Amino acid sequence: MALFRWGSAFDAFRDLEREMDRWIRRLDMATGSRSGRVFPALNLYELEYEYLLVGELPGVDIQDLEVSVAGGQLRLSGERRLSDDVEDDRYRRRERSCGAWNRQIQLPPRVQEDQIRAELVHGILKLHLPKMPTTEPRKIAIQDASSSQLSLPGGAE
Amino acid sequence: MSTPQEPIETPQSEEPKAPAVRWVRTPPIDIFETENGLMLRADLPGVATEGLELQIQDNRLTLFGRPAVDIPDQGALVHQEFETADFLRSFILSDDVDHDGITAKLQHGVLEVLLPRTTRAQPRKIDVQSG
Repeated sequence: MALFRWGSAFDAFRDLEREMDRWIRRLDMATGSRSGRVFPALNLYELEYEYLLVGELPGVDIQDLEVSVAGGQLRLSGERRLSDDVEDDRYRRRERSCGAWNRQIQLPPRVQEDQIRAELVHGILKLHLPKMPTTEPRKIAIQDASSSQLSLPGGAE
Repeated sequence: MSTPQEPIETPQSEEPKAPAVRWVRTPPIDIFETENGLMLRADLPGVATEGLELQIQDNRLTLFGRPAVDIPDQGALVHQEFETADFLRSFILSDDVDHDGITAKLQHGVLEVLLPRTTRAQPRKIDVQSG
């Protein structure tokens, strides 16, 4: 006997509508995920001095999360264990994704890789990716080749 | 669940930065049976206890969660895979659920609601006395 039923017919309809919306948007994004729902979903924001990568990682412990960066590539991986050995036939509904996951992201250019900070609060991962300081434009002097001779320091004659 | 490498700096279509209307989205849930009743788990990333409302009216259980993810106002969204919207979902409970016995716990953005069965609905052995 079902203890749960969907709310009113209207609610179900709205749910469906929303689901469709999201589905279409997801296709748009062409994330290449087979399951349709990417885990973890990531948003990237650009601020003046940094980029902020926000990921939805509900139920993920810090111990089960690995973040690494190398050569402009950011790698997030981990495992999401949902339920303490609940047999399959006990499930009435199963929508949450689980298992090992892995995402690789190309960082925006000019990010200080050694300054990346990460925090995980209430299932939200925040990665602060500071930008490299912009350097002042520097004028490069051009010498008149006819009037001066190029001499290299330490160059013995 | 692994996804191939993907560039993240590609700008997506323009989205209104601070929508006046707050959208709601349906959180994914799991429901399974336990010895004492049903266990419901919902993914509510970013939601703390202050932002969570769990309500029972008649036989409808409604969960509403407002994620507290503070993104600086001047932040421009460069790539988007989720919406920073509120979570809303409701369920109709059967008479089998002991409404007063419902307990809930929120940890790491996951809500866990235990819906115990009323004692009446639990199997009870009836002693048969010999006459």
